[in-house]
Amino acid sequence: MRVIDESALEDIALGAAVLGTGGGGDPYIGKLMARESIRRYGPVDLYTLDELNDEDLIVPTAMMGAPTVMVEKMPNGDDIVNAFLSVGKYIGKPVRATMSIEAGGLNSVVPIYAAARLNLPMVDCDGMGRAFPELQMVTHTIHGISATPIGMSDERGNTVIMETINNHWTETFARSVTVDMGAMAMIALYAATVAELKEAAVPDTISQAQRIGETIRRARLEEQDPVRTVRESVNGYTVFRGKISDVQRRTEAGFAKGDAFMTGVAEFEGRELQLSFQNEHLAARIDGEVCVTVPDLIAVLDIETGEPITTEGLRYGFRVEVIAFACTPRWRSEAGLQLVGPRVFGYDVDYVPVEERYGQ
Amino acid sequence: MSARVGLGDTAALALGAGILGTGGGGNTYIGRLKLDRQLQLSGTPCLVLDVEQLPDDALVVGVGMMGAPTVGIEKIEAGDEVARAVQALAAHLGREFDALVINEIGGSNALEPLMCALQLGLPVLDGDGMGRAFPELQMDTFSIGGIPASPLALGDCHGNIAIFERLSSPLQAEEWARNLTIEMGGSAALVMSLMSGAEVKANLVRGTLSLALEMGRAVMQAREDKVASPAKVIAALGNGRILFKGKIVDVERRTVQGFARGRMRLQAFDAPEDNMDIVFQNENLVAWRDGDVQCCVPDLITIVTLEDGTPLGTELLRYGLRVAVIGMPAVRELKTPAALEVIGPAAFGYKDVTYTPLPGDLLPAAS
Repeated sequence: MRVIDESALEDIALGAAVLGTGGGGDPYIGKLMARESIRRYGPVDLYTLDELNDEDLIVPTAMMGAPTVMVEKMPNGDDIVNAFLSVGKYIGKPVRATMSIEAGGLNSVVPIYAAARLNLPMVDCDGMGRAFPELQMVTHTIHGISATPIGMSDERGNTVIMETINNHWTETFARSVTVDMGAMAMIALYAATVAELKEAAVPDTISQAQRIGETIRRARLEEQDPVRTVRESVNGYTVFRGKISDVQRRTEAGFAKGDAFMTGVAEFEGRELQLSFQNEHLAARIDGEVCVTVPDLIAVLDIETGEPITTEGLRYGFRVEVIAFACTPRWRSEAGLQLVGPRVFGYDVDYVPVEERYGQ
Repeated sequence: MSARVGLGDTAALALGAGILGTGGGGNTYIGRLKLDRQLQLSGTPCLVLDVEQLPDDALVVGVGMMGAPTVGIEKIEAGDEVARAVQALAAHLGREFDALVINEIGGSNALEPLMCALQLGLPVLDGDGMGRAFPELQMDTFSIGGIPASPLALGDCHGNIAIFERLSSPLQAEEWARNLTIEMGGSAALVMSLMSGAEVKANLVRGTLSLALEMGRAVMQAREDKVASPAKVIAALGNGRILFKGKIVDVERRTVQGFARGRMRLQAFDAPEDNMDIVFQNENLVAWRDGDVQCCVPDLITIVTLEDGTPLGTELLRYGLRVAVIGMPAVRELKTPAALEVIGPAAFGYKDVTYTPLPGDLLPAAS
């Protein structure tokens, strides 16, 4: 067991942005909330799965909806507590801890807030090892863990509990309720025992986010090449270096979809990269050839600062390095690829693990 | 009184509920088939209680289906969604219900609670929250009387359940539950208005199940006797009058935002320039004859076939049907200023229509 204090929180938020692969939401507001709750209620205990009893019940907490809304419509904190408590009450058993369901982006820090408020520990794992746009896209689904009962609350105190026949229905219904709640809802879902999570969850992801954040922070202080240090901290590969020459965006079926085009510099001179995204970066092509796809992670880093750039932050003229790194092996099974492989997002290509294309 | 509704009563109940449905509440033909099947399976009639028999500390809840009747006739229910939603809510509350309440006595929503009651072994109360059918959740005497909309449970034919544990207003319940109903395929089981025995006594429109049965039986009798026209019999029983007779010459109907919305035009048989226009949102809302309002919500506008008095749901309207339009006064509970704000013509967007009540009430004053 170790503790998440204010400085750990800063690193987690920074590292989570890299794991967000362009999406997952800016952790900024969530980080402020978590920081405030740590100041008021004390640091949060972070346990590994092995440190807990197999029968302990864990209920993840998260924000659902548009992170852009969160910046304008602030959660009041009671909402996440309501969602969490209503699920616990519905199940009728004591809940041992909370965890992140999505370690990429905002939802890495939302459970830290909840844990501090509720005086509960947090578990060092998540359900993605990155960020994904839909609720059923978690490793729990592969292992047959139900997303429901799901508790959803808004900042006015409205609360909804749902029980659905599979996790795709949860996504459909919860999305509808989220829109009614003002495009943002606080949710608690995917209740599971520690024994189940040992099979289903992606372990060590909060620590991973913290390590990445720490590396970036230290590189800045020591004036090392920040891009290289980030890349090395995730065992990643350079996919491209270039300048953003065009960004096309469209809003389709509630998602921010689009493509960014980059012209190569240095060793990539004369080549063009097309980066396709739907909330998160999904696939990259160089001169028309696919070079990396989901579920592997694609991050766009500012070449000067190593700072990850979100899909909404992509602008003409930015000089960037595109890096790619391996997803959790859990996504590479057939069932995993059926849930989050390139075809799920409309790209008719086979998934090839990033290290097979770029292997050492 | 305590009474039972058995297989011999369902034809009359379906007919009477269709009349009180004023075009909505769900198709009673399908509703009756399902209730008959459940009665056969259960092998026992459904127990109907007078609300006065209920202890003040009893726990009851309203049940029915939510959605567009145009969907209801195409998407057949699983048959146990209402019961499952009731059970989910009971489990969530950690308390069993003592009886079920009919949310609306109009259309198949009069029959659905009986089916659910048989499945769960519970009685239903003789009465409802409207004395007719209305399209939206906040439009009943329970909500108007201050019964909170939450907790509210929705269930679909797949087995999905949603419990709205806390909602800020009945209007919000309508908005959110409607959107989820659309996701559930346009129709869903609705369990709402959780009440104590004392609360339901204060808010129930009493005797409407009996009224539906009585109306249905009277129409069946009139068909047999061939003395008075069924439409006349209905109008007399409902303290109303026949507003118009004619042929449907135009129907515009869309299924939008989870409702069957539209308008129809009827033409008098002997005078083609004599027209009646009726608008509907699941239920018939306002009837104009040559531009003058003849009848509007909350009073009942029921369209029946001319020859045998079969009530027509808005999902069944089509060109060429020869019909009588019957206007009947609403129950008095719907005519208070507080109620009219929720179920008067302005609440449906007809701000220029003034509610001029038809004389009398649907039901005689309680003795």
